[in-house]
Amino acid sequence: MEQFFTNSEAVRQIVKGFNLTKTLFVSSILVGEKHTGKKRLISSLFPKAPWVDGRDMSALQEALRVHDELVITHFEQISKHDALDFQHKRIIAIADYIDNVRNVDNLFAFIYMMPPLRERPEDVDYLTKRFAAEAKEILMIDEDLTLDHSRLDLSQNSKTLKKSIFHQVMHQNADAATIEETLYHYFLKSLQGNNGYKEHIHLFEKPLIEAGLKKFGSQLQLSQVLGINRNTLRKKIHEHAID
Amino acid sequence: MLSIDFKPFIECDNSPFILFTAQGKIAYLNNAAEILMGYADPKALYDIALAYAPKDYGYKTTTLSLQYDALHFYAITVGYQDEEHICIRLYHQPRLNKPKTLSSDKYVTTDINTLLEANITLFQMINKNELSLLVDQDIPEFKIDQNHFSKLLRKTLHAFRASDSIYISLKFLVGEYVIINGKKEGLIQLKVEANGRYNDEDSAIETLANENHISTAFKEHSITLQIPFIK
Repeated sequence: MEQFFTNSEAVRQIVKGFNLTKTLFVSSILVGEKHTGKKRLISSLFPKAPWVDGRDMSALQEALRVHDELVITHFEQISKHDALDFQHKRIIAIADYIDNVRNVDNLFAFIYMMPPLRERPEDVDYLTKRFAAEAKEILMIDEDLTLDHSRLDLSQNSKTLKKSIFHQVMHQNADAATIEETLYHYFLKSLQGNNGYKEHIHLFEKPLIEAGLKKFGSQLQLSQVLGINRNTLRKKIHEHAID
Repeated sequence: MLSIDFKPFIECDNSPFILFTAQGKIAYLNNAAEILMGYADPKALYDIALAYAPKDYGYKTTTLSLQYDALHFYAITVGYQDEEHICIRLYHQPRLNKPKTLSSDKYVTTDINTLLEANITLFQMINKNELSLLVDQDIPEFKIDQNHFSKLLRKTLHAFRASDSIYISLKFLVGEYVIINGKKEGLIQLKVEANGRYNDEDSAIETLANENHISTAFKEHSITLQIPFIK
């Protein structure tokens, strides 16, 4: 059975609602953006219920004929709502969005809205720790990690959160050989035309200057560290549009 | 000799009949009027009687629409009994007498408090205002079409989505019954009231309620559902 964990009060209310009605013959739908944990939540609450994909109408109708309890995924993809008979069944539908509000309103007794991760900061903290630990294990890193929380990407909820954490962990732990190898593969793919040097030099200069400015604070000091003229540095800052 | 004392007939007439003194006190009321008094203010009825009284002696019938909870009237007759007394008779609006039957397979023995709690949980995700509850936790389980009834509860509560000072009560109605499948069933009353409410879904609520043999009363600040207690 998949475990679902939340610190969010809104999600806890959804769990409470489902727990109160889990023995009743009512139809419920959980609507929310992709990768917000809807499927994991439902499978933890209804571990024994059979699942059917709403995109396969004939499989759905057969499942409705056979089962009294059913989880329907991709409900937003179903267009023939009239063909569905939820009477005297325990139906739990999962949808990424609601297309036809009136039909959903008519079909379901309980309509729950799963909040996206950007509205669940408590869950972001928990998932960040979990994904960071996972990244350390998979990438076999022993050192402690310091994540830049401002660079966590929640645009596609847990999917992009996990991706941005893995990227940060990989970037922070990459040695010179890894960076060289990464650049090698990138150049192998992208080099073309007759201005390749100029087009790709920013890959080296931009992060160098950005990191340098963050580390040393002033342009004067950085120009000394880099061993280049202050005017040259200023020109490059302008060229790469560095703040 | 033929008796012309029709008082016993008035007494058991289905239409409410009330006799007021000149001071607005009730001098007499029949059985139907006693039920009406549970919902209507005697002073308001007296004022109506005065407003629609005939200019002279005699009786005057006026067509007008009056509603007191589930009681709907379409006309009144007002007349002077004598110099000191005025009487009013209210005519019930005819209702479609749909035979109340139910297919038992859809109705499952259910704890209404569980359904109500689940719906309140859902409602409180939208409306964070505090609400007061006065529910009879000892109401035994009775037969409900769980899915249909849950939809009705959701829509009823949704009418109060922006309200505050919400008060929900759930209780047995003593002495009131409904006949379903030829059987006398008790009634449970659920009332939701607040400082105000939306009425955009009233007709949808009424349709859902009718499908469940539930009667509804819509007021500016409240919705009342009377649910048959089917064992």
